[in-house]
Parts: sequence; structure tokens; C-alpha cells
Amino acid sequence: MITHPSHENLKQMVSRWIPPHQVPQRFRIHTDTSDFIRVEYDDVVILNGRPYLIRHNAKEQRFGLEDEDKFWVKRAIDLEDGNLKIMKLVFYERFMSRIGDIEFECFRSPKKEARILDLVSGHKNFMHGYSIQDEKENLIRILDFIRGKPLSTYVANMGMDHEVYYYEEFQGIMDHFIECVQAIRFLHENGERHGDIRRDHILIDRESGRYRWIDFDSNYWHRENIYGYDLFGLGNVLVFLVGMGDVLLRDLKREGHPSLGTLSEADLNLVFNNRVVNLKKIYPYIPDSLNRVLMHFSRGANWFYENTVQLLDDLAECKNDN
Amino acid sequence: MTKEEKIFNKNILIAVDESENARRAVSYVGQFLGGLEGFKVTILHVVPEPEEDYFPTSAEKEKWLTQYRQKIDAMLEDSRQLLIKNGFDPEDVAVRSTLRYCPSMAECILSERDETEYSTIVVGRQGLSRKEEFLFGSISSKVVNHARNCTVWVVE
Repeated sequence: MITHPSHENLKQMVSRWIPPHQVPQRFRIHTDTSDFIRVEYDDVVILNGRPYLIRHNAKEQRFGLEDEDKFWVKRAIDLEDGNLKIMKLVFYERFMSRIGDIEFECFRSPKKEARILDLVSGHKNFMHGYSIQDEKENLIRILDFIRGKPLSTYVANMGMDHEVYYYEEFQGIMDHFIECVQAIRFLHENGERHGDIRRDHILIDRESGRYRWIDFDSNYWHRENIYGYDLFGLGNVLVFLVGMGDVLLRDLKREGHPSLGTLSEADLNLVFNNRVVNLKKIYPYIPDSLNRVLMHFSRGANWFYENTVQLLDDLAECKNDN
Repeated sequence: MTKEEKIFNKNILIAVDESENARRAVSYVGQFLGGLEGFKVTILHVVPEPEEDYFPTSAEKEKWLTQYRQKIDAMLEDSRQLLIKNGFDPEDVAVRSTLRYCPSMAECILSERDETEYSTIVVGRQGLSRKEEFLFGSISSKVVNHARNCTVWVVE
């Protein structure tokens, strides 16, 4: 039988890692996390005898809206070694997701994330961690905390002229992004999909400088092309990176951009009607080979990537053209 | 020297799901071939083995599968009756549902065909928009592109 540390023990452990005035006098201890809402700041979760001090809930970035608490995802301190962790508690949900006017069924799966964590252990372009069951067999994932910004924030805050960005920054970013696509290829080759590819699901690890995929617990009820949605996500990230952010029709209109009149429906994102994909019309120095890759994600495309290998081949060709 | 003529059999595989398009495919075969001698039809539904991740417990998965099978059995029988109503001999119409791990439904349908002797596969067109087809893929397009040693009818 596993014995739990006493409150006095816990106090001693906690005081090693946080300032004395923040050490709680008493702890609420959880060994069953089924009701994750009850797991709160300053509580202790004990998993297989190892105590974790719970800190804040993680937040979900929502474009244009205030970030939302993810009550099942907590920051936590591993009280044995003081490392900061992300603790993902079990939350099953099924929901209809929309991209543009297309609706499809999504679901959250702790099992999937646990499986992928095992698969990508040691891979430089993924978050790392492990899974462990609490006493009610809830499959909890303990993730290493990655210090660094989301790629979306990094690129959106460049604050420079696009041409300067393109010639001075983009090539380096592109090299990292190609590694990210290779990482997704690795998942697909192993029968897994990321499930929620977004530009804020890549973190730039401050220590290693690597781009690392996070959040693998989303999944979707696939249709014929099992990896199609992941590929669409990669395309959207790529367009964002080339454009140094989203190039929106609304903004071009507001600026009275000279290329506005040359844009047609075929130049827009396959699904998002307000985003320009044919970026060469806006930034003429973008090479044809790169623009051709972008155009696969446009409404004018007559062929869509079926797998990451095809996308990687085309990206390799773009590199040769630079 | 004349080439030997390829012999096509009169066995037809109709791959169906619960959609209207699939029913149209069955109806088409009924109207087109009903009452003619020698044609044998199998109406096939491939039950995609649901991903383990979709269900919190295996009990829930089993419950889902039981309900799904009941629904599919009823749909298959309904399709069979439609063919009989159109003049097929009941003995010439079989139904089959099979549970398979299906990363690609089209490939599952085609491997069913490979295991049996059908010269013709019939599917309904799903009526997907181009962007849906891009994002999620089209079963009928993939069946057409990947089918070998058989003819494919796509019913609009």
C-alpha cells in the first residue's frame, strides 16, 4: 500500500520550492481527480506516491476573445524535484467543430495523448511527458513545462516591414517549420494524427530554440482522408508564416492596398473567406515555388496534398529556389 | 491474331452507408437491372471499427457498436427489399456487413471486392463540396482512382 506524506512533510517539501509566505498551512490532498473542478490552487495531487502542488489553471488562447480557463489542465510543481509541470486531468468531451461552413465531430482523448507521449519521447519537436493513473484509473498526463512563446505570438509581434522579415527572418523560421512538418510526418507514419494543428500549438523552446508541438489530446471523426485536417492545419500555419501574420481582405481594403483589385476568390483560403493565400500578389518578392505551395490551400486549387511527404517535397524545392 | 475477350461476370457489389446517395445507388441498380437474368447483387456496408479513443470505456464502445449494427441491419434489409421490389429474385440479393479497421473506407471497400468475385462496384456520389473533398477526402473518388480489375459505377 502506498503511504502519503503527512501535512508536515508536505509543508517541508513545498517550502523548498516556493517562498515561505506562500506555503499553505493545510493542504487538500487528492488521489482521485475525477472531479477536476475540485482540484484547486495550493491543493496537492498525489500520483503513485509522488506529490504535486497545484498552481494556476492553464488557459486556452481564443482568437480575438479573452483567454479561457482550461479547468482540467493545471500548472503543478513536482514536489520531489521542484520541476514545473503541466498536469492534464481527464476530461472527455465530444463536440462539433466548425471550420468555415464545414462541421465535423471532434473529441478529446487522454488515451491518444498518452500514446503519443510515449511515441515522441525524446523527439526534439514535441512536448515531452508521461501518463499515470490516479487511484480511480483516470489517465493523467504529466508534461514538462516548456518555457517559450507560441509561434503565433512570436511572428505576429515581429514588428517589421514584411520585406525585411522575408529576407532576414523567414528562412530561419521556415527551416524550423519544415522540422515541424517532418515531426507530423513521423506521427502519421506511426498511425497517429495531431488533431489540432494550429500556430499557437507550436511553442518555441527558449532553451533549445526548437519548435515543439503541444496538445495531442484532440481528435476528430475522420472521413476518407484520415490526415486531411492535419494537412489543412499545416497549410494554414505555413501561410501565416509566409505572410508574417494573417493577410486579411479587411485590412487590405482599409489600407486601400494597390493589389486589392487583382485578387479574386481563387486567391483566398480554401475555407476562411477573409484570408488571402496568394501572397505573391501582395508581396511580389515571394518566389513562385513557395507561392505554388501556398496555392494548394486556396480556393483556386485543383489538387490538395494527400500526405506530408508531398508537402515536404515541395517545401524542399522552395528551399532550393532561395 | 485476335485478343481473347475479357469475361465480365454479372456479380455486382453495392457499397452503401446510411446516406441518401447510397440509397440512390441501390435504387439505380434496381431500376437498371431489376428483372434481368443472371445478375447477383451484394449490398455491402463496412462498419468502421471505431477508434478506441472515441470511447471513455470499452463498455461504451460495445454499446455503440450494438446500436450501430442494429441500425445498419435495418438499412441493409431495406435496401434489399428495394431491389426485390424492382424485380430481383430474393435469392440473388445478399447483404453483408463487416467490421473492419478502416483508415480509408475506399480501401476497405476495394479489399472486400478483392476477396470476392465482382466485376462491378456501385457507389453513390457523396455530393461533397470541393473544400470538403479536399479536407476530408471522398470515398467515391478514391474508389474510382484505386479500383483495379473491376468497373465502378458512381451514381449521382
